[in-house]
Amino acid sequence: MPTPQPAKRELLKGTLDMLILKTLTVQPMHGYAIALHIERFSGEVLSIEQGSLYPALERLLKKGLVTAKWGDSPTGRRARYYTITSAGRRHLGEEISSFDQVLLAIAGVMKRG
Amino acid sequence: MSLLASLRHRLRVLLRPGAYQRELEEETRFHLAQEASRQGAARPGLSAEAARLEARRRYGNVTGIDEARRQMAGLGLFEMVRQDVRFALRSFLGTPGFTAVAVLTLAIGIGGTTAIFSAVNALLLRPLPFRDPERLMMVSMTTPAEPDRPASDNMVWSYPKFTVFRDAQTSFQDLAVTTDFQVTLTGGGEAERVNIEYVGGRYLPTLGVQPALGRNFLPEEDRNPGGPKVVLLSDALWQRRYNADPRVLGQILDVGGEPFTIVGVLPPGFKGISGRSDIMVPVLSGSAEDINQAWSHSYYVVARLKPGVSPAQATAEARLLGTRVDAAYPHPEVKDRHWGATAKPLDSKRVDPVIRRSLLVLLGAVGLVLLIACANVANLFLVRASGRRREIAVRLAVGAGRGRLIRQLLTESVLISVVGGAASLVLAWGGVRVLATINPASALRTQRLEGLGVVNFSTIHLDPTAFGFAAAITLLTGLVFGLIPALSSTRPALTAELKEGSAAAPSHRLLRGFNSRSVLAAIEIALALVLLAGSGLMLRSLDHLLRVDPGFNPDRVLTLRLNSPPTFARDSLPGFYDRMLERLAAIPGVTGATLADCPPLSGGCSGTVIAFRDRPPAQPGTEPSIGVYWVTPQWTATLGVPLLRGRMFTAADRAGAPKVVVVNEAAAKAFWPGQDPIGKPVSVGQGGFWNDTARVVGVVGNVRFGTVDTDPVPDAFLSYYQSPRGRMMVFLRTAGDPLGVAGPARRIIRDLAPDIPVYDIRTLESRTGDSMSYARFSTLLLVLFAGVALALATLGTYGVVSFAVAQRTRELGIRIALGATRGSVTRLVVGQGIGIALAGGTVGLLAAFGATRVLRSLLFNVAPSDPLTFAGIAALLVLAVAAASWLPARRATGIQPTEALRDG
Repeated sequence: MPTPQPAKRELLKGTLDMLILKTLTVQPMHGYAIALHIERFSGEVLSIEQGSLYPALERLLKKGLVTAKWGDSPTGRRARYYTITSAGRRHLGEEISSFDQVLLAIAGVMKRG
Repeated sequence: MSLLASLRHRLRVLLRPGAYQRELEEETRFHLAQEASRQGAARPGLSAEAARLEARRRYGNVTGIDEARRQMAGLGLFEMVRQDVRFALRSFLGTPGFTAVAVLTLAIGIGGTTAIFSAVNALLLRPLPFRDPERLMMVSMTTPAEPDRPASDNMVWSYPKFTVFRDAQTSFQDLAVTTDFQVTLTGGGEAERVNIEYVGGRYLPTLGVQPALGRNFLPEEDRNPGGPKVVLLSDALWQRRYNADPRVLGQILDVGGEPFTIVGVLPPGFKGISGRSDIMVPVLSGSAEDINQAWSHSYYVVARLKPGVSPAQATAEARLLGTRVDAAYPHPEVKDRHWGATAKPLDSKRVDPVIRRSLLVLLGAVGLVLLIACANVANLFLVRASGRRREIAVRLAVGAGRGRLIRQLLTESVLISVVGGAASLVLAWGGVRVLATINPASALRTQRLEGLGVVNFSTIHLDPTAFGFAAAITLLTGLVFGLIPALSSTRPALTAELKEGSAAAPSHRLLRGFNSRSVLAAIEIALALVLLAGSGLMLRSLDHLLRVDPGFNPDRVLTLRLNSPPTFARDSLPGFYDRMLERLAAIPGVTGATLADCPPLSGGCSGTVIAFRDRPPAQPGTEPSIGVYWVTPQWTATLGVPLLRGRMFTAADRAGAPKVVVVNEAAAKAFWPGQDPIGKPVSVGQGGFWNDTARVVGVVGNVRFGTVDTDPVPDAFLSYYQSPRGRMMVFLRTAGDPLGVAGPARRIIRDLAPDIPVYDIRTLESRTGDSMSYARFSTLLLVLFAGVALALATLGTYGVVSFAVAQRTRELGIRIALGATRGSVTRLVVGQGIGIALAGGTVGLLAAFGATRVLRSLLFNVAPSDPLTFAGIAALLVLAVAAASWLPARRATGIQPTEALRDG
């Protein structure tokens, strides 16, 4: 039986990459940890299917924004750890500033109304 | 950094796709396990199984995400192709009969197309084997129309006219004359007959060729007639005659009885634009007397454009200079008959227009065969797909995308075509070998075909271009014949297919599949009809050619050529030939021996004008033309030419005796209509007969000296006793095998004159066969293609009809149970075949009427819309379709109603 869920909002298009990159600036993490991190810090408001992280990670790998490496997890099981590259940090910076602009613009419109 | 990381990642995925796939799977497992244990820890009441399910739910559609991920990683395509190929191979191995027929059909289509394409490539497309061939042009003279021949822009040059052009032109950086002949080599080995090119000093630089050994001709060897006698050897002759000895330079070679100094060896494979010259000598090594003849036209002129000059500019200049040449050497007799000059890209002269056209016709024909093969295989695939309807429907139902299924079906068809394409290479290889054996040196030249000898059938081989072509059409055919069944069989209409037994009910879907099969079969028939019409016309044309009476009997005649050396005094020739003929005639098995300067059906040899001394003299330059031949008295008897009036020459018609000529029937009809030509006084412009008056003593039947398909023209015969010639051909009629007397004949001639080369020993039949070998060959190929096309189309119709019978077993069973007679069932089944044939036949006949127009110039005495041919092929088609429908019809009438109904 599914447990009751708080009301969730759809994720804005293209922001998943940004969230992953931002998460990885904390430290290298495996995919599951990234999923938990995003859920936790969005207060479980942002709805992502956990699995949908992985195609996005694959895309970031192909662009060279992150790298992946196998290592031991705290539970002792082998996990695939993702690290943000310097190009990834640069990309994140650009994304954030353009995201901020969009947010500012939206906020400006909303205030007037 | 980002680039490097990205590259490293992509490489890993590309090189080790399997390992990467396993990594992804492990990562997913890790994720799900972690989530399940977290859920379990958070809610202690949860069972392990429920925790696992909850983890999966939170993860999302595991299969879908995996697929998206593989696709993103670049694994998707690879994986899919691998799966599809494996699946296709399995299913093909399960149906070996189907696979064999499909592969064989495609191999025939692709192999035939590749072989013909190789010929087209070698003869029409491949760049000429010279440096920067697109900068080479051929400069020709133009002549106005004359009463007996059309205007020409293909005329060869005389040397004096060439020098006028050469000294005035500014378009070409290099230009040179060339002409090719045969000549005898003696000294330093046995007497040998070889091909020679007489060339200008700038010939090799024009073509961009340098001697491999020694030097090219020097400017002083190209300055004045009677220049130094120097010779360049081809690599082949150097290997053959001198064992590739580099010390050959400076040695003396006897060319046609005169000593020439060897100054160089040509690079391997280079044999001039004639494609066959064994040696080259400067044209100016000849005597001034020969070279300074302004009206002795025998030289081709090749030229290389200066950088920056366009072919059009060069042509314009050549036309302009043509008037200057004409002014320098005006026509000696007729004031307003102006000759000119023009230049065309050398490449445009590479082959005779007849060969170009027939090659393109053959390519078109074999392309049609390929299309029919495609249609046939598409039909096979449709039948196969209908057997897999349920499988496909199930796969669509469980969520396979239509695109994915189409891709898989296309993989199957491309796979089959790749196997067919590989098998086709065997056929193409064999076909190309056969094509390359068409001997242009004899077969094509005797027909007086134009074109550069260097472009010939022996240059046909399977090269990278041909392989590329085969690969391209292989893929293309795979897509073409695969797309139709793939699209039609994946049309989503699931429920009907999933219902048990639906295959027997003529549902909407089935009807549609059945229709597209009928349409394909009709298309095959239409295409086959076009081919049948074309090959039927070519066959009729060949039949007409073969029925033409050449005017002589070519059976059991041996021919050989001899060439008396210049040291022989002309006056002693008749005596020598007399002794030779006498001894040759005495060989056991020889029933007749004669000499002539020219064999029949060889394109003709010499021609001149005739004047009638009992009529007012004709305007100079308007005298009628006539062919001239030198023969001995036994010529008519030996070759079986009928003597119609008067007498043949006798031994008494010698030098000193009153001059006599014999004419052919065409001359008698043209010049003395309604009169008896015997005794008429004439002058013939060759052989010393122009300033004398000769009497006509006899009329013989028309012998075709030119080609079989040109009507006989007026010919005159001179007695060689009265006009001795050095180059003659010996004709020996034999009781048995003509080649059996070749040895004794050769011994007798060597015995009489050891230094006279005897060469070109062949039966007369093989010579005349040559003159039609190309026509015969292209007709044979076309008939072969049409035969294959008809067989495939018949097979296609058979497949459609018999499949329909199988589909309708239950219906037919009910009909029979209800009392349908054998006849009505047969009519039903055969009617379907006839329906297909009518549809395809109508379209095909209309298309054939249009398509056969391209054959017009290749046909002899047959109209492209020849009613007999079209009636014949229509009858053939009806027979083929009746046969194709008959077997299924017999099976249909044999259906047992009880079985049919039970099986349903």
